[in-house]
Amino acid sequence: MAGAAVLFIGGIVTWIIHLIRTAWRLKDVPSASIGISLVAIPVFLTLLGVVVYVFWGLLGDRARGDEAPAWPAARRESDREGGPGWKR
Amino acid sequence: MVDATDNRDAILLAPIERTEPGFYWAVGLLSLLILWGAIAYWTQLDEGLGVTGLHQPVSWGFYVTNFVFFIGISHAGTLISAILRLSRAEWRRPVTRMAEVITVMVLFIGAGQILVDLGRPDRIMNIIRYGRYQSPLLWDATSIGAYLTASIVYLYIPMIPDIAILRDRLRKRKLFYTVLALGWTGSERQQKVLNRAIAIMAVLVIPIAVSVHSVVSFVFSMTLQPMWHSTIFGPYFVTGAIFSGIAALIVAMVAFRKAYGLESYLKPIHFRYLGQLLLVMSLLWFYFTFAEYLTGYYGGAPEEMKVFWAKWSGPFRPFFWGMVLTNFLIPVLCLVRLGRRTIGRVLTASLSVLVGMWLERFIIVVPTLSTPRLPFGEGIYWPTWVEWGETAGSFALFALFYLLFTKLFPVISIWEIREGREVGLKEVEERLLTYLPETAEPVLMETEKRW
Repeated sequence: MAGAAVLFIGGIVTWIIHLIRTAWRLKDVPSASIGISLVAIPVFLTLLGVVVYVFWGLLGDRARGDEAPAWPAARRESDREGGPGWKR
Repeated sequence: MVDATDNRDAILLAPIERTEPGFYWAVGLLSLLILWGAIAYWTQLDEGLGVTGLHQPVSWGFYVTNFVFFIGISHAGTLISAILRLSRAEWRRPVTRMAEVITVMVLFIGAGQILVDLGRPDRIMNIIRYGRYQSPLLWDATSIGAYLTASIVYLYIPMIPDIAILRDRLRKRKLFYTVLALGWTGSERQQKVLNRAIAIMAVLVIPIAVSVHSVVSFVFSMTLQPMWHSTIFGPYFVTGAIFSGIAALIVAMVAFRKAYGLESYLKPIHFRYLGQLLLVMSLLWFYFTFAEYLTGYYGGAPEEMKVFWAKWSGPFRPFFWGMVLTNFLIPVLCLVRLGRRTIGRVLTASLSVLVGMWLERFIIVVPTLSTPRLPFGEGIYWPTWVEWGETAGSFALFALFYLLFTKLFPVISIWEIREGREVGLKEVEERLLTYLPETAEPVLMETEKRW
């Protein structure tokens, strides 16, 4: 899923760059394209960063497995005792 | 510590675990409307845009009206959910997911209206291959793309703990929920990651949401058309979007409260608070509308006055005055004193606002094109059965998407409700103590001590 997010957002960034290059080649007010992309591209990259952070943070922690699972994983009896509760 | 055997919120999982006959009736009815829309669209695809009421000079009609309307409603999720989260309003908890789902679903429908309006959907490739950023239409495409991406992320991340519950409790769709749950166990590190990501998204999504409807307004205001070329259009559209978004959320809340028996979660107090927000937005909307029309009237430019009088007393007067009635008079009368029958009054106001905001979009789009600045002949727009069918199909498709979502995921966030019970109460008490006089002073930072 992280791969899909990278592909999707990477595709949008590539598209915006393509529009800038087209405007540059045609000498057709490239400043508009560059100005908008200076806002749009960082926004998309920030979204991608959040997605990757969540994936890495959750899946990486599962792989580490160094803390006892807490709520809501209630499949095993042993989970009902101990373990951190859901708190800020 | 949360009790893993806590079944107090089992009712929130009931729609996923079993299906009542009412669901099938609803799907059946919506499917009929969608079929009408599909037949209408197929007819249009086959015979061209000539089967619609669109013609010179009125080349934008129902489809563009629907586009602006649906994009406006999308502000429900992001602004209401994000702003209430950031302001730590505890009453938001049963409401945020419904709002976020509205945003995602309605953005797909809204963007689809443009595809329908194109006539030849293959022409959409021209935007990708030959798009020009000088055009506000490209600004629109980019900002809506960013908003859709952000909304999907903002909907999905807070759903992860609930998806983990479904993974653990249900036998069906196990692989689906396991993949989406991303190995959630509720450990302290995972909670920290999730909370941080939600906080970042709540902050990020607000300027994106504001920019989206501002850019939608620029499609009109950047032209020189009479009563479109206005500097107030950006904030006017954003205000209208929040206004219609709150109304749509209230209608969704009432519908699912009744359908799924959620009376103990969606209480009259939630409707009261949202009703108060709706009242404020109604007054704000009226102020912007008044300022917009007064400015045009006082300027007296001939082309502007033709459009003004067409709306005020001409062929568009039923829609204009209907807009004022449904967006201002009815909501204010319903909401100014919410005594008993809170939910009924708030629902009436919300339905009225939804009709009114659609009329507002129509009143912005069509009259200006009917009396153009350039020397085209004036034209009257009469939508055909194709446009009515497409409109009905679009609304039904949105409702169907929403209904299907509630069969896969809880429509109220279970973990946020539990967090509210266990952590929220204590946090609110601590916060309250810091506001009140004659309570223990909080520890001051060095900079604060100098004040």
